[in-house]
Amino acid sequence: MIYIIDHQDSFTWNVVHQFSQFDKVHCSDYFDINKKLLNKSDVIVFSPGPGSPKDYPETSKIYKKYKGKKKMIGICLGFQLILYNEGGKIRQQNKIYHGYQSKIKVNGKSKIFKKNKVFNIGRYHSLKLNEPYFSKNLNITMRCTKTNTAMAFEDNLNKIYGFQFHPDSFLTENGNFFIKKILSSK
Amino acid sequence: MIDYKKHKSNFSPYLEKLYQSDKPMIIYKFIDGYKIFTDFSKRIVLNKSNIENFLNNISKKKFKREQDLYVGFFGYEILCNLLNVRIKNQKKNGFYKGLFYKPETIITLSKKIKISSTLKKQGFNNHFNQTKILKPFKINIDFKKYKKIFDLFSKKIRAGETYQIKICTKYKNKSEIDPVSFFWRLMKVNSAPESFMIRDKNYSIVSCSPETLIEKKRLKVTTKPIAGTLKKNQRLNKSKALRFFKNNDKETKEHNMIVDMERNDLSKICKPGSVIIKKKKYVEEYRHLYHYVSTIEGKLKNNINLKDIIKSMMPGGSVIGCPKIRTLQLLNSQEKEGRNIFTGSFGFIKFNMDMRFNIIIRSILNYKNVSEISAASGVVLDSSSKKEFSENYIKAKSLLELFK
Repeated sequence: MIYIIDHQDSFTWNVVHQFSQFDKVHCSDYFDINKKLLNKSDVIVFSPGPGSPKDYPETSKIYKKYKGKKKMIGICLGFQLILYNEGGKIRQQNKIYHGYQSKIKVNGKSKIFKKNKVFNIGRYHSLKLNEPYFSKNLNITMRCTKTNTAMAFEDNLNKIYGFQFHPDSFLTENGNFFIKKILSSK
Repeated sequence: MIDYKKHKSNFSPYLEKLYQSDKPMIIYKFIDGYKIFTDFSKRIVLNKSNIENFLNNISKKKFKREQDLYVGFFGYEILCNLLNVRIKNQKKNGFYKGLFYKPETIITLSKKIKISSTLKKQGFNNHFNQTKILKPFKINIDFKKYKKIFDLFSKKIRAGETYQIKICTKYKNKSEIDPVSFFWRLMKVNSAPESFMIRDKNYSIVSCSPETLIEKKRLKVTTKPIAGTLKKNQRLNKSKALRFFKNNDKETKEHNMIVDMERNDLSKICKPGSVIIKKKKYVEEYRHLYHYVSTIEGKLKNNINLKDIIKSMMPGGSVIGCPKIRTLQLLNSQEKEGRNIFTGSFGFIKFNMDMRFNIIIRSILNYKNVSEISAASGVVLDSSSKKEFSENYIKAKSLLELFK
């Protein structure tokens, strides 16, 4: 079962429908977590949402509790939230991307996606990861071809993944492919 | 425009009597004409505490004939209440938060006039309200105040708190109006697909809303968000307008966001995998402007009730901004005057749970001898406050012209 933590976003249910293609999904607000179900779940997904990671201390607690024990996936705000908990700094961008289609490219650090593969994806974010950023296990694996902004990461040791873009958006071509690959990676 | 001519050529003494009386009545645009609802046997005033009961009770009723439906509106405030979003310290004029009517007579105006009623006799009295303009229109926020809110919201967008937000401005005058003649005059120039009129004893609404928020037939739910407005001029036509929207970054991004948002709102109540974009990014033409539109549909999950549908779809995302909850909170903290019907929804719910609702925009609300016309346009990062402020005026223009 997949547990999706909703940060009261207006895109979360697109995420729910996307994950529902692969497994049973339970979704609840971040302030209304069913702890039993969360504990039973195989995968935890941190949804997109307004604001910045520091606005959601409850979700950070959940992340720390289950790190290394369950597969976890962050999307947009969820992506930033994981990085924030791994010592990353999240900051405002000069150019802001809401409803924007961009190209991203996979780099050599990915164990799941083919190197140099380019995807068209949809973006909705005001903030981004401040770089340079270093982490022992977590690698940035996809970047915007134009601005070089970090767009995906993998921590294959702890099974933690994140997308700054929205695989759930209609602007992302083949969005299901990203989710399928991440869910099936062992 | 064709609809209007069709209707006018069908002179009916019955209709003239109805129009000239002060009997409460509602007119709603349909694909090939209009429907008039009247002889109301029930009038249900909605508030925070009875709305859930109202919705639950409908599902217990039986649908036997055409008249088995409620027609009316949900105001903006009651929709916020349903979502537990608070509104504090706003100036209000005491207008209804929501009101629904049970009609006993329905008149269909298309090629022919069809009158269907559960009553044997329909009475009229002779009472005619002439339009009187007592004081000219004034706008409730000037550009300076508008710019202040605009700049604040731009900051909120930079901080990621909202991705798009719509500021409402209001034009008000002192007037008495004859809503029926206003409505038909409006239909002559702008018979928008979601137009409607309500005439009741103590208020009236005249609207040329272009936007369908919910069309539900059995399990199928359709929504048709509008995001993108272009002022008409002589050099433009529909295909040039489409090219403009496609090449315009700001309009495209704004539209994309609303499409994803409406997909989300439908997904909340629909079966996984059933939500599809039926028609992506097309142009509709109106009196003063072109609109950029998409059609999205889905199939309802089995255990969904009326309240679930209303809560996930209303207030319509395209007139609020995104993400909905946080954006509503921001709006309610900055707008100093209640929105009343503006960005609420008008429509009907049949007793078999089929329904159609629009988004109440491009509307005149006349209450206590004040007519108010509201308009809203979006703050996204690339918009300019001047342009959005004047876009509000373009949107209100065809209604303001009725008072000339």
